[in-house]
Amino acid sequence: MPVVELVDVRKAYEKKVAVQQLSLSIDAGQMFGLLGPNGAGKTSSIRMMMGITMPDSGRVSLFGKPFERASLDRVGYLPEERGLYKKMKVLDQLVFFGQLHGVSAHDARRRAIDWAKRLEIDQALEKKTEELSKGMQQKIQFIGTILHDPGLIVMDEPFSGLDPVNASLLERTLLELKDQGRAILFSTHRMDQVEKLCDSICLINNGQAVLSGRVREIKSRYERNHVIVEFEGDPSFLNSSQIAEARNYSGHAEIRLKPHANAQKLLHEAAAVATIYRFELVEPSLEEIFIRTVGGKVDA
Amino acid sequence: MRNILLVAKREYLEQIRGRAFRLSTVGLPILFAVIVAIGYGSSLGIGAHKHIVVASTNPALANDVRDQLAHEKGDSGMDVQVIAPASPDMRAQIIQQIQTRAIDGMLWIEAPRGSLPEATYISKSAGDFMTGSRLHDALDNGLIDEQLARGGVTKAQADALAKGVPIVTYQVNSAGRVVRSDAQASFWKGYVMAFLLSLTTMIYGMNVARSVIQEKTSRIFEVMLATVKPSDMLAGKLIGVGAVGLTQIAIWLVAAGAIMATPFASVILSGQFSVHFSWFEGVLFPLYFVLGYLLYSSLFAGLAATCETEQELQMYMPLAAAPTWLSFALIVLIMNDSNSFWAVAASLFPPTAPIVMFLRMASEIPPLWQFGVSIALLVISIFATLWFSSKLYRIGILMYGKRATLPEIFRWLRYS
Repeated sequence: MPVVELVDVRKAYEKKVAVQQLSLSIDAGQMFGLLGPNGAGKTSSIRMMMGITMPDSGRVSLFGKPFERASLDRVGYLPEERGLYKKMKVLDQLVFFGQLHGVSAHDARRRAIDWAKRLEIDQALEKKTEELSKGMQQKIQFIGTILHDPGLIVMDEPFSGLDPVNASLLERTLLELKDQGRAILFSTHRMDQVEKLCDSICLINNGQAVLSGRVREIKSRYERNHVIVEFEGDPSFLNSSQIAEARNYSGHAEIRLKPHANAQKLLHEAAAVATIYRFELVEPSLEEIFIRTVGGKVDA
Repeated sequence: MRNILLVAKREYLEQIRGRAFRLSTVGLPILFAVIVAIGYGSSLGIGAHKHIVVASTNPALANDVRDQLAHEKGDSGMDVQVIAPASPDMRAQIIQQIQTRAIDGMLWIEAPRGSLPEATYISKSAGDFMTGSRLHDALDNGLIDEQLARGGVTKAQADALAKGVPIVTYQVNSAGRVVRSDAQASFWKGYVMAFLLSLTTMIYGMNVARSVIQEKTSRIFEVMLATVKPSDMLAGKLIGVGAVGLTQIAIWLVAAGAIMATPFASVILSGQFSVHFSWFEGVLFPLYFVLGYLLYSSLFAGLAATCETEQELQMYMPLAAAPTWLSFALIVLIMNDSNSFWAVAASLFPPTAPIVMFLRMASEIPPLWQFGVSIALLVISIFATLWFSSKLYRIGILMYGKRATLPEIFRWLRYS
């Protein structure tokens, strides 16, 4: 039974169609990436899952049942436009969010303190929100999202505004939650994080799903026609007839081969003029798939 | 219901703990008392320390006018100089003195024998109608004194006649008892209660609007909407902020009760300036506060959801406050006849009902059916406004970037 399921969902605002015929489903213990360029319809899709807006047509189900507000007690939501009460004490605020999800004040307080310790922000609990940095506020918002132990966690751009240390801390926490059986959906522009964290993705463009499925399976649809070369010496082999496009970063080259090109021939040409430390035939990155798909240049 | 109460509790505690609540609870009554005291004090001193010349061809009349001004109640020292008999040449000289501000004004009385005198008042200040009015009374009384003296009546007898008879006023209260009352005191009581009512309604209505704007600015809405329905958020906010207002009114009532129990208050309340508060007023004041507050705050909340900043919200305030101004503009009409058509109509019209009803009550308790109709109309208006505002609120709180235009607001109403 999927934790969340959208079937042929459509949403239009006046003349603009934000989402059309979108279908996706996420199972328990799955990390799902919702991708797309700005204005593609990611936030609109998420808002329909959360009952903030209603679809014009199609169906939204949570925990195997048609959407009902009571189900939201089991969902943690971190929107893109997120904030906290500036004048309120952080701990009071977290207890308030927990209570809104049906957690008792006592339990909410205990859980808030536990999570704050885990995320190394317990020193901020007695402060007012306005005294915290943006990154610290974001960690508090994340605690508010998961405080009630939700079965589904939905996050819109959760990594924006976090420094690398805190982004890594958040990644580890999300993986732990996934291992505990939570279904996690997040939208992001950071493809490296999607590659690292997500089991499945859905790429939306102009309100429509243009690519979806398991990350491994999507990448396997594409030819292994990318080569990474680390070398020292003459870079003239980058002009080889086997190469469609090459970028050289002082001894680190990223190469896209022509269709049906011979990678072994390229290796020989390179070894003839330079010392080769690494020559790796790789799949295209998700970022490249994203750019190609959204740009309408899919050659898979 | 759980979430409505949680939102209400959060709003209540946040505002009660705030410095603004403590300051306004203590400061507003003090500020109001100071304003009333200054107003009352300055009314006693009107015309004081003015140097007036009374010039007339008839010395007896001029002296009578001076005596009248000197003995006028509440006069704390108008300096009156008599020039009589005065000639036309002197008139020009005195005008010259007014020009150089050596004196403040001149009352010129032409009193030809056998006909009524003609009087002119000349001063630098065109708006000094209070002094003009006092001079008019003094001249009337002086003229009567002078005419009576000519008929053989002594000055003491003439003064006794002109003094008049004070009328002690009583009022039949709602229990049918005849109680001592005072028109001036009743006016001030009604005015103070209406003023406090309008002030608290506006302050707490604005607090709701400010709270909406702050939540919109801090981007907390979408986090909240994941668990709380927009209508529940609005309801919780109205209940929470309204409860803060009721708390403040309760504190004021308790403090007023405590002050009334003191010997100082008993002197004021049992003397000429006697004021009577009934339990009926004690019940109606919070009731009309709640109704007025709900009407205005639900309107403000909807409008606030269409704005991005408090500055933008200010644009709507004159529009929203217009009924309050209208209520106070009707004050003379209501005091003259609290049962006139316009007074009754304004006390039934929902936006003006809370204030006008209290102004009417200052003169006379209106019939019960009028309270019933005004409360019923207020309740209907509150539901209509809530319907309208919750539609604006639902969409407005998720719209960021710019203030909604009027056509956009109409579209929101159609879509939500």
